[in-house]
Amino acid sequence: MSTAIRIAHEEWRLWLRSRMVVAAALIVAVLIAATGALTMERLTTQAKQRATQQEAAEAAFFAQPDRHPHRMVHYGHYAFRLPPPLSVFDPGVDMVTGQSIFLEGHRQNTAMFADAKASANMGGFAALNPAALYQLLLPLLLIIIGHGVVLRERESGTLGVLLAQGQSALALAGGKALALLGVVALFMLPLALMAAYGVAAGEAAGPAIALVAGYGLYLMVWAALVLAVSTLVRSRSAALGVLTACWLAMVLVVPRLGINAASALVDAPGKIESDLVMLSQERKLGDGHNASDPAFEQLKQDLLDQYGVESVEELPINFRGVVASYSEEKLTGLLNEFAERRMQSEARQSEVFGRFALASPTLAVGAASRALAGTDLATHHRFLRETESVRFGFVQALNEMHATKLSYIDDARRSVDPEAEARTRVNAQAWAVLDRFRFAPDPPAERFARALGPLTLLAGWLAALAALVVYAARRLAP
Amino acid sequence: MIAALSREGRFMLRDRAAVVWLALAFALSVAAIAFGIAEVREQRATIAALVEEDAADRANAIAGQSDWGGVAYNAFHLTYAPPSDFAFAALGQRDASPWLHRVRMLALEGQIHEADTRNADFGLIGRFDFAFLTATVAPLLLILLLYDLRSAERVAGRHDLLLATAGAERAVWLPRSAVRFGALMLALLVPFWVGAALEGASAFVVARASAVVLVMLGVWWLITDRLGRRNTAPATILTTLIGVWLALALLLPALAKAAIDARYPVPEGGEILLLQRESVNSAWDIPKQATMEPFLARHPEWAEYATIERPFEWKWYYAFQQVGDQAAEPLARQYRAARLARDAAAGKAALVSPASLLERYFQHLAGTDAGAMIAYEDAVRAYHARLRAFYYPLLFRDEPYDPALLEDLPRFTLAAD
Repeated sequence: MSTAIRIAHEEWRLWLRSRMVVAAALIVAVLIAATGALTMERLTTQAKQRATQQEAAEAAFFAQPDRHPHRMVHYGHYAFRLPPPLSVFDPGVDMVTGQSIFLEGHRQNTAMFADAKASANMGGFAALNPAALYQLLLPLLLIIIGHGVVLRERESGTLGVLLAQGQSALALAGGKALALLGVVALFMLPLALMAAYGVAAGEAAGPAIALVAGYGLYLMVWAALVLAVSTLVRSRSAALGVLTACWLAMVLVVPRLGINAASALVDAPGKIESDLVMLSQERKLGDGHNASDPAFEQLKQDLLDQYGVESVEELPINFRGVVASYSEEKLTGLLNEFAERRMQSEARQSEVFGRFALASPTLAVGAASRALAGTDLATHHRFLRETESVRFGFVQALNEMHATKLSYIDDARRSVDPEAEARTRVNAQAWAVLDRFRFAPDPPAERFARALGPLTLLAGWLAALAALVVYAARRLAP
Repeated sequence: MIAALSREGRFMLRDRAAVVWLALAFALSVAAIAFGIAEVREQRATIAALVEEDAADRANAIAGQSDWGGVAYNAFHLTYAPPSDFAFAALGQRDASPWLHRVRMLALEGQIHEADTRNADFGLIGRFDFAFLTATVAPLLLILLLYDLRSAERVAGRHDLLLATAGAERAVWLPRSAVRFGALMLALLVPFWVGAALEGASAFVVARASAVVLVMLGVWWLITDRLGRRNTAPATILTTLIGVWLALALLLPALAKAAIDARYPVPEGGEILLLQRESVNSAWDIPKQATMEPFLARHPEWAEYATIERPFEWKWYYAFQQVGDQAAEPLARQYRAARLARDAAAGKAALVSPASLLERYFQHLAGTDAGAMIAYEDAVRAYHARLRAFYYPLLFRDEPYDPALLEDLPRFTLAAD
C-alpha cells in the first residue's frame, strides 16, 4: 500500500509542476465556481418568484367579487412548478418545459413560457450549468491530466527501471489509480458544497448524498478509462487521440443519437394532434354549456325519475349545474385518458434513449442526476398530473355550487334578464373552495428508485473498466 | 501536384487512425442526414393529417350552430409552420418552439403561447443533426486528423530529412493536409448532398451551406496548422488544440448565451396571460360601456352598432376578448422584441465562435431559427386578425345566420400578407 501512496504522491508532484495541468484545472475551477454561483442565484430567485406568484394567484382567486360560479370556472387559476433545492446544481428539464400552467374549466392547457424558447440561440449546447460541467467538462479535464499517467513512465524509460526493480505492475497501476482518485476527490468538492447548500435549503440528506456519490462513480468510470488506455496504448498522443474520440462519442454523439432514435422509434403525438382525435370523441359527449343537448336527455330523465317531478324547472337542484358537473367529469375522464397516453409515450421515448446509456455513462449519470435532483421528465409529468387534480377539484366544487345554490329559472334567464342575472351571483366567500397548491419534489425513496437503474449501469461500467485496468497492468511491459 | 496528392492519398489510406476518423465522419453524416429526413417527413405527414382532421372537426363544430357567435366560439383553425426542404440538415428551434397552433376567435394571448412541444428530454439534450455534426463534432475530427502531421515525423526522426529532400516546406505539408481535409469534407458532404437531392432542396441553398462548411472547417484547418507547427510533443499540441476547440465551440457560446440573456431580460411571460385574463374576466363585472370604449377606440367603424342592451350579447363577448388582447399588447410586444433583441445579439456574438456561426447560418437557411419561429407567430397573429375582420361585420351588423357565408372563412397561410 505504501508503494501505491508513494507513486501517487510522485504523480501529484509532477502534475502540480506542469503548467498546463494547473492552468486547465484553474480554468475549470473558475468555471464551476462561476456557473455554480450564477445557477444558484438564478434558481433561488426563481424559486422565490414562483412561490410569490403562486400565493398571488391564490389571493387573486379568493379576492374575486360575487359572481356566477361558472364565471370562476373560466376565471381559472395558475399553478407554478417550484424548483427543488438540488436544481441549483442540475436544473434539468426546468429550462425546457414551461414553469406555470393555467387551470380552467373544459380544458387542459400546456405549461407555458419555457426559458429555452426565449433564450439566445448560440446553437449546439444547452446553457451551461454545474451539472453540464460535471458531465461534459470534467471527463475531458481528467483525460488531459491523466492520459500520460503510465505513458509518462514508458516514454521517459522509467517504466522499465521500475519493473526491473521488482515493482509489481499491479502496485504501479494501483498507485496511478490512487493518484487519479485524488483528482476525482478534489473535483467532488464543489459538488459536495452545492449539495450541502441544497440540504440547507430543505432537501433531504439522502438524495443529496446519492447525487454526490453518483457523480463520484461517473468520474471514477472516466478515471478508470483513462488509466486503462494509458496502460494499453504505446504513445501519449495516440492515448490522447483514443480518449478524445471516446469522449466525443460518449458525451456528444451517443446521447444525441439516442434522442434521434427515440424520436424515430416511438411516435408520441403532440397535444394538438391527440386533442383533435379526442375532440371528435368529445362531441359525442355533448357540450356542457348547453343543457338541452340531446346527449343529456338520459341524465335529465334519470333526475326527473329520481325526484318524481315532471319538468327540470320543478327539480330542487339546478339542472344546468348538474349538466356542467356531469360533462366536466366525462370530459376530464377523456382528457386524462389522452394526456396519460401522451405522457406514457414520452416516458417510452425516454426509456428508449435511456438504453443508449449502455454506450454512454454520460447519459446514465444525467438520468440519475435529474431523477435525484427532482428535475427529470417524470417529475414534470407528476406536476402535470397534480395540477390536473387541482383543476378538477375546484371546477367541480364550483359546478356543485352551480347546481345547488342557483335556481334553474334564474340561471336560464340570466342572459336576457339583469335581475335574474344578479340573483345568479354567488357570495365571494365561496371561492375558498380552491385548494392551496405547493409543488414539492418526490419523496427520496421514489427518486432513488428512478436513479437506481442508471447508477447500477455506472457501477457496471466501473467494474468492467477496473477489470480492464487489471488485465492491462498484468500485461504491462516496458 | 497531382502526383503529390495521389501519393499522400495512398499514405493516408495506410494510416489506420486516419481511416477510422474518416469512416466515423462518414457514418455520422449518414446517420444525421437519415434521421433528419425521417423527422421532417414525419412532421410533414403530421401536418397533412392534421389539416384534414381539422377541417372535419370544424365542419362538425359548425354543423350544430345557429348563430355567428356560436360558430366563432366553436370553430378552431389549425395553423402550422411546415419544415422547409432544407430543415433536415438543421432542426434548430423546432424542438423548443411550437410549429402548430389551433386558434379560435377568443383572446389570442390566451392561445398563442400554448407550447405544443415534444418530449422535454429532446429539448434538453438536443438532436444530432447535420448542423451540429459539422459545427461541433467535425472540427474535433479534423484536429485528430491533422494535429500530428509534423510532430509525428519529428518523433519518428524523419522531419528534417523529409524537408531536405522535398526542398520547400509547403511541398510536404500542403498536399498532406489538403488530402486529409478534402477527404473529411467529402465524407461529410457526400451524404449531405444525397440527402439534399432526396429532399429536393434548392441547389443554391445547398451550395451556400456547403461553402459555409468549407470555410468554417477551413478556419479550423488554419488553427490546427498554426498550432501544429510548434516544435513540441504531439500530445501537448493535441491538448492545446482540444483547449482551443473547447473554448470556441463550447465555452464562448455558452458564456455569450448567459451574458446575452442577462443583458436583455425577457418580461415574465406569465404576466401576459395574467393581464389578459384579468381584463377578460372582469368584463363580466363592469359596465358594458367600459368594455366597448377601448374596443371602439380601435374599431371606430362599429360605433353605431355598439350598444349592448342585454346581459349577454356575442358582439360584446368578442369585444372584451379583443380588449383582453389590447391590455396584454404592450407586454406581448416587449416579449417579442426582447426575443428578437436576444437573437440579434446572439448573431453578433456568434462571430467569435465558428461553431455557433455555422449552426446559426444553417438554421437561417433552413428556416428553423428564432426569427423564423417568431415569423410563424406573426403569421398566426395576422391570421387571427383576419378571422376577426371576417366575423366583426357579421356580429355587429347582426347579419342573419347563413352557413353558406362560412365558405369564405379565411384560410391560414404562412406567408404574412
